[in-house]
Parts: sequence; C-alpha cells; structure tokens
Amino acid sequence: MRGSLSKRIAIWGLVWVSLITLSLPTLIVIGASFTAGEIIRFPPEGFSLRWYGELWQLDSFKAALARTFYVSAICTAVSLPVGTLAAIATVRYRIRFRNAVQVYLLLPFTIPLVVSGISMMIFFGEIRILGQLWPVGVALCIINLPFMIWSVSASVNAIDPEIENAAMNCGAPPLQTFLTVTLPAVMPGVITGGLLMFILAFNEFLVSLFLTDSRTVTLPVQIYNSIRSVITPDLAAVSVLYIAIALIAVFLLDRLVGLDIFLRSK
Amino acid sequence: MSHMKYPISWRLLDALEAAAAVLWPARMRRLTAWALLAPALFLVGVLVIGLGYMVEYSLHELDLSTYRLKEAYSLTNYQTILDRPVYARVLGRTLLGAVLVTAISVALAFPYAYAIVRTPSAMVRKALLVALFLPFFIGQVVRAYGWLIVLGREGLVNSALAGMGLPTVDLLFTYPAVIFGLVQYMLPFAILLLVPALAAIPEDMELASESLGARWTSTFRHVVIPMAKPGLIGASVVVFTLTLTDFAMPEILGGGTSDFIASAIYDSFFQISNPGLGAALSMVLVTLGSLIVAGVFLVAGTGTLGVRGAK
Repeated sequence: MRGSLSKRIAIWGLVWVSLITLSLPTLIVIGASFTAGEIIRFPPEGFSLRWYGELWQLDSFKAALARTFYVSAICTAVSLPVGTLAAIATVRYRIRFRNAVQVYLLLPFTIPLVVSGISMMIFFGEIRILGQLWPVGVALCIINLPFMIWSVSASVNAIDPEIENAAMNCGAPPLQTFLTVTLPAVMPGVITGGLLMFILAFNEFLVSLFLTDSRTVTLPVQIYNSIRSVITPDLAAVSVLYIAIALIAVFLLDRLVGLDIFLRSK
Repeated sequence: MSHMKYPISWRLLDALEAAAAVLWPARMRRLTAWALLAPALFLVGVLVIGLGYMVEYSLHELDLSTYRLKEAYSLTNYQTILDRPVYARVLGRTLLGAVLVTAISVALAFPYAYAIVRTPSAMVRKALLVALFLPFFIGQVVRAYGWLIVLGREGLVNSALAGMGLPTVDLLFTYPAVIFGLVQYMLPFAILLLVPALAAIPEDMELASESLGARWTSTFRHVVIPMAKPGLIGASVVVFTLTLTDFAMPEILGGGTSDFIASAIYDSFFQISNPGLGAALSMVLVTLGSLIVAGVFLVAGTGTLGVRGAK
C-alpha cells in the first residue's frame, strides 16, 4: 500500500482491530478445549485431551454428527443441479418477467430466517413430513439457494457466448454443447457454490431448530441447547471440530478455485 | 458395422442427444429457460406456501378457552402489537441494534477490504483472506460460544482484569455484548461485499488525487469513498437486514435481557403458544425489512446488489 505513515497507521490499526475481533473467539475456543478442569475458564487449568475423549464416548454427539452430515449432503445434492440450471437460465436466456423471477428467487434471502423456519415448520406439519430428517436438508437448500445461484451466475457471466456458438458451428448438437462446453466453463462456480452450501448447511441453526425434535436434532441445535443449560468443556471440543471443518473448507476453496475469486470486481 | 469404430462415449452422447430431441423437440426451445428454472421455482414455492400459512395465521385471534385460532378473520393480532408497549420497545431495540451494527461493521470492513485490495504482498493478502473466511465458515452458535468464554464471569477479559488487580465486570448478557457479537458475525459479510467495489477503483485514481496535493484523508473522502458507494450500499443493506432478523446472538449473548424481534416471534409461538400473534409479528418484521431496503434502494440505488441479465 502506498501513502504516508499516518495512512498506514490508520488503515493497519483498524485492520488489526478487525483481525483480533475475527480470530479471538476461535483461538479462545481451541485453547479452552484442552483444559483438564471441570469448567470452562480462562486461562485453562492444565492441558489434556480428556474432553475430546469424553465427547467420543457420547452417543448423542455421534448421532447428531451423523445427522448433520446427512442433512448437509441432501442440501448439497439438491442445490447443485437446481442452482446450476437456474443460474444458467437467468443469465443465458431471454426470459419474460426476468425481474420478477429474480426477485422471487431471492425470496429466501429477503424473508427473515426465523419467519422462513416457522413457515416451513407449519407447511411440513400440514403435509405430515415434519419430524423426518430429509425435509430438513431440503429446507436448508431452499434458504441458501441464492448463494448457489449467485456463485454459478458469476461463472456463467464470465463465459464468452461465442465459445458456445463456435461449438455449435462445428456441428455440436445442443446437449453436447451444454455438457462439453457450458458445464466445464461454469465448474468453478459450481464447486464454490457446492462447498458453500455444504458448509452453510453444516452450520445452520435457526431453521433446523424449528424443523428438528429430540430424535432428529442436528449438531448446531444441540450445541445451542447445551449452551442454554450448562456450559461444559466438551462443547469447546465440538466447536474445535467446526473450526477444523472450516479450515478444510478454506483450504479446499483456495486449492480448487482460489480465494482471490472473491476479489474480482464485477 | 462401420460405426463400431467410433468410441463408446460418442455413441452414448448420440443416444442422449436423440433422446433429448424426442423429449424436448426444437419447437419447445422457447420454453427451455423455464424448464431449467422449474426446479428452483418449485423449491422456493415451498417457502411461499409456508408464508401463505403465516399470513393466514396472522389474521386469526387465539381463542383462550380452547387454545386454538378462531375461525373468524380479524386484525386483533396486529392491534395487540400496537397496543402493548413491550413490542414497541423490542422493535426500537432491534432497529437501534441494526443501525449500530451496520455502522460499526462497515467502518471496520472498509479499511480491511482496502488493505486486501491494495497490499502489494501476496502473502499478506492471503493471510487477510484466510482470517476472513475462517470465521465466515464457522456458524453463529459456535462463534457465540467463543464469546461466552471471552466475556464470561471467569472468562478471558475478567481474568485479565483480576490479574491487574481490578474488579471484575459483568459483560455477558448485556446489550453491548449482543452488539459486539453481531459485529463480529457481520464483519466477513461486509468485507466480502466491499472488496469487489474497491477492486474496481484504479489505484491511478488515488495517485492522481495525491499528486495534485490532496492528503490521503481528502483522497479517501472525495475519491475512494464516493467511488466505493455501490459496495457501501450493498454491504450496509445486507448487514442491516441480517442484524434486524437475527436470533442467535441476542438470545445467547443477551440471555433474555436484550431480545430482538426474532426472539419475540419465537416466544409467541413456543412460550405463550399464540401462533396468531407470532405470525402477525413475523409479517411486521418482513414488511419493515422490505420497506427499509426498498427505501435505501430508491434513495441510493441498488449498489452491488443489482442483478444483471443477458444483454
């Protein structure tokens, strides 16, 4: 960064405030999870892995973890084709009522999550699928669908339409053009979107709170319920699992498409 | 058998192509876009139907003798919201919170985004991006839990105070704790929405301003900030609406002392079992959020949130 000393001090000073704010809870949780004591306190008493061990003994934790993976997998599997096709349609085709369609597809963002969650709880109750696990996955796909459409749209926008025309000129029929030219070109967006959908579903709490009960509770909801009663250090160990998964996601995102993808101006 | 020499993938693709031509003949081509959109329209439709139930619920009063909603349509629930001062208080607290969190988050996000865009070092940029994405991928509940440990009675801050021989303070379950937690939650959103707008500003612009003798503060005020306006609008709108409707942070870090509207909706449904009132509160929240966003868009334009279509 160019400029005077005062500018550098001002900018980097504020950046450090942000860095500490962003990272402090993560670092503290990691530290607290290795405590040997009975309660969460800082600095922790001694160092041990006992809470990780106790966590692994807990069947309710393992069951909730498995359910969370299941729900996130459904969410990702549904959103990949649905979001990709919708993004290609809205960017590539002339459609009537385009603005209305776009506003409609953004509804999951504009409707508050608490309202979406209770709305779907009521509807799922009416059609008698409330209490099953798969509708939770579908619901998480619905509320995050705009993320998927957004990340694929960015890739579709970046394709030169002449490439598709060239393929057709060389005699490729429509389906072949789609499968061998369009789809590979939008892959970075599809990968980013899929990764985002999985992570968001894995962390989603509020809508899941309304759609699950004690038999179908997912991990974020279980953490929330535990926070509200007694705060034991095993929660810190669960949180470290979340931090590890976020780290893997950041690494994958960087490797597959590069974090810089978010820096490009439209 | 001359075609046998073609690879199997070619013949497979030809078969698929023929099937597609039968299932979706050329004269249906005009409808292709709608066919591609159909699954997404259907999924969002599930949400819309649910919202329909909400609107319907909000128009029925709770019958206190049976604890079911009455058959007759009425606006009693909306009247109740207007009559009870507690809802005005919750609404005011939520709006103030949303304004504060938006102002603080955008003010902190701006230098961070600027540093990401302008730093000459690829290493520093990568570090800033990782520090940004890591919390972005960690859910609200886990992050709130981190703040519980930092701000708690035996937490980091109080241990530090005690270590310095100072009296400990109750930081948790206060309004500032909620605001602080929300700022931390919203910061990545604000930065991610600001970065593309700042990346669009050529550095030469700033150099030109400075070579003409402007100090960096003047350059920021008259060049960088006006040119980043679309990003500032986008970031503010997203942070504002997300804060306005947030549930977890006020609930966990406020501990019942600083409920936002979402908590009031939750309590209406699950604590006092009055779905009509909860649905009416939901409608108020949806309307309020939409009106504010529409107002900002009318006055300031849609910023980076505007949607682009095919030319």
